[in-house]
Amino acid sequence: MATRLPEKEIVVIGGGLTAGLVARKLVPAGREVLVLERGPDWSGSAVGELPHQRDELRWATYRGMTRRENVETYTLRHSPDEEALPMRQLLSFLPGFGVGGAAQHWNGQTWRFSESDYVLRQHLTERYGAKSIPDGMTIQDWGLTYRDLQPYYEEFEALFGIAGKAGNLRGVRQAGGNPFEPWRATEYPLPPLEMSEASQIFKDATGQLGYEAFPLPAANASQPYRNPDGMQLGQCQYCGHCERFTCEANAKATPASLLFPLVRSRPNFELRAGAEVIRLNTTADGTRLESVSYVDVATGQEFIQPGSLFVLCSYTLSNVRLLLLSKIGTPYDPVTRTGTVGKNYCYQVTSGLNMFFPDRYINPFMGAGALGFVIDDFNNDNFDHTGLGFHGGGYISATQTNGRPIDTRRLPPGTPRWGSAWKKANADWYLRSMGLSVHGSNYANARNYMDLDPDYKDQWGRPLLRITFDFDDNDALMCRYVNGKMEEIAAAAGAKIVGKASVRKSPYDTRQYQSTHNTGGTIMGSDPGSSVVSPHLQSWDVENLFISGASVFPQNSGYNPTGPVGALGLRLAEDLLSYLSGPRRLG
Amino acid sequence: MSPDEPQGLSRRSLLTSAGALGVGVLAAPVGLARARQAGDTGENAEAQQAADAAQPDAVDGYQSLSLDDAAIVEALVGHMWPADDLSPDGVALGIATFIDRQLAGAYGQGDRLYLSGPFRQGKPEHGYQLACTPEQYFKAGLRQVAEVSAQRYAAPPDRLTTDQLEELLHVISQAPPQPAAFALNTWFNELFYPLFVRGAFADPIYGGNRGKQAWRMIGYPGLPATYATDIVTWRGRRHPASDSPMSIQDFS
Repeated sequence: MATRLPEKEIVVIGGGLTAGLVARKLVPAGREVLVLERGPDWSGSAVGELPHQRDELRWATYRGMTRRENVETYTLRHSPDEEALPMRQLLSFLPGFGVGGAAQHWNGQTWRFSESDYVLRQHLTERYGAKSIPDGMTIQDWGLTYRDLQPYYEEFEALFGIAGKAGNLRGVRQAGGNPFEPWRATEYPLPPLEMSEASQIFKDATGQLGYEAFPLPAANASQPYRNPDGMQLGQCQYCGHCERFTCEANAKATPASLLFPLVRSRPNFELRAGAEVIRLNTTADGTRLESVSYVDVATGQEFIQPGSLFVLCSYTLSNVRLLLLSKIGTPYDPVTRTGTVGKNYCYQVTSGLNMFFPDRYINPFMGAGALGFVIDDFNNDNFDHTGLGFHGGGYISATQTNGRPIDTRRLPPGTPRWGSAWKKANADWYLRSMGLSVHGSNYANARNYMDLDPDYKDQWGRPLLRITFDFDDNDALMCRYVNGKMEEIAAAAGAKIVGKASVRKSPYDTRQYQSTHNTGGTIMGSDPGSSVVSPHLQSWDVENLFISGASVFPQNSGYNPTGPVGALGLRLAEDLLSYLSGPRRLG
Repeated sequence: MSPDEPQGLSRRSLLTSAGALGVGVLAAPVGLARARQAGDTGENAEAQQAADAAQPDAVDGYQSLSLDDAAIVEALVGHMWPADDLSPDGVALGIATFIDRQLAGAYGQGDRLYLSGPFRQGKPEHGYQLACTPEQYFKAGLRQVAEVSAQRYAAPPDRLTTDQLEELLHVISQAPPQPAAFALNTWFNELFYPLFVRGAFADPIYGGNRGKQAWRMIGYPGLPATYATDIVTWRGRRHPASDSPMSIQDFS
């Protein structure tokens, strides 16, 4: 028997990045906010303290900060006519767990999406003709433009102390920045990080080929920083423990360090950790949410939490699953291509290669999550796709995130896998090798989607989310093309040995880490027939429900998603205040 | 005191030597235990004492591996990480101890694994689909390795020559030698081999990488890793910390 609790004004489901952005705005405005987070509050635990923060086995190999599979995992099949199997170990992507969500263990790579990303179908139709878009490529426009988001990007970058170099200040090209950057109103809040030997090699090689490499925009503070809220960041120590870790030096911008401390002591704010929302409860006519049901994971006891406004801020895949479990909206059907919930699941197309320099010390252990030089010439629609047979692209970079020895030891092709020759290769090359990588777009495909699994259940007996996903020809063609450009850079870099880049293609391999950039399923748009939320992120079906995070992206860009997730979250916070002043459909 | 000897060493060695008094018998290395079983040592008490004294501390002794399991694991990791001018062999490095501790601990017990049915055989890309824990899977694989060794060489893995061990590893890592509930190459490549690598390169607090020898071999400095000025100072040059790595234990 569930216990019914006193009503709260605003109930936020999930305690990650956008929950923090929403609370930061609403709580000081006097609104009552309750955040329900199923994972732990990490503050004061070994994860954020030396020496244990530097434990690669615990936090990286065994993924200590990320969602436990027996709390929630997903099933996977490669096409709608196959049987799905559960990902019993979540290895290819790492959903967040606990206060701060995935933005606690992120790398800090903070981009703005291209101006064409928000109007992708319109843009590609105008430039290449409608016929250039294959029938199965179900890309859509966002229902807003870069101009709408630009001020929020600016605000997010100021809050998170992004280190970088502007390439485009109000239309004026800036030397040293990204020539393809959408226009900015201000310079980055912090100067770029100090570059490593690998970055220098990349800059020299790309320069020889006529490209302009620029520093990757980083949420790793290049200097001590005080943000507009008065919150402090320390200076990055280049310790090489960003991704899969949280920062003990408080130099990586995170929700737990910059957002939640602002509101935690306020009487009108409450954060309940260990509270797993299991269902959104609509009114009898289905037009409004009246409460959520959650389980206290310590006791197994169920509670009903009523509220007047609800914000769904959990991870992409959990947002979708909660809508499906709560029977809100129409599930997507890949045969008729009708319905919207679960539609346009997208991922990221990534690849890389290794380079070996006998006489240069790369020192891979000195790194940061977003440290490196990049070229953007072959990303998205930054280049002419006429006659190429694919859309999209990716940026090419030499990022030096870490030299943690279990996972990051580069070995030349043909090295034996054990024995003295293997040991010697490790000894010879660990300090003298580096990688190049491609981080590429993944455009929607009619048969890639999410629904509820018919067979597999979680510990509370609820169906798991089933992901139907595979890379298609567009992905493989794009990857092959951009890999070719990366190989030219490797050749120009003068490495003694260059490894081979493999083309990302079918079948999607759940055993291999690729990216925690899962997008779609509750996509935004201006047409209720083809989207789940409006451009204001308001549910088309349930007026007092707003949905936040990368689940609203209609397709995925070649950039990392945290920048636009943050900008959308800040815009949402303003929209929520507006809604509270007079509940209505925002238009 | 060498750079490898942490400042907390005296307290730690006091504790471990006290512990060793109580668990001395369990602390005997398996190779030795097996030799005792076979009756080919024992007449020389002095040699016995010397062998016991050579055991550094009470981290030896296995929690999960049986004598037969341990003999196979030691044979494989001793071959895969051979003694040479770079370091002693994988058993001396602690890789077998590491694997044993992992099997007995949270990882081996499937602490966070999704273990609900139905269980079906998927494509390789679906990853782990077994109904058992990693510890059970690991031991089932060891039994298959022993069978392959018996069939091909009429001997257990720990009695094979170096060439035979090399061949055995290629056989079990490359193709399933016989119909089985699971493919032995998957077991080797996705369970045994990753554990072997982790045992070599994880922080020594887990029992492997003893004396940080694998870190020193490659030049990984370990902790505390604060390079705010070093990223510039040592750009393109060998960092002095590469020669004297520090581990979690050194800061505990």
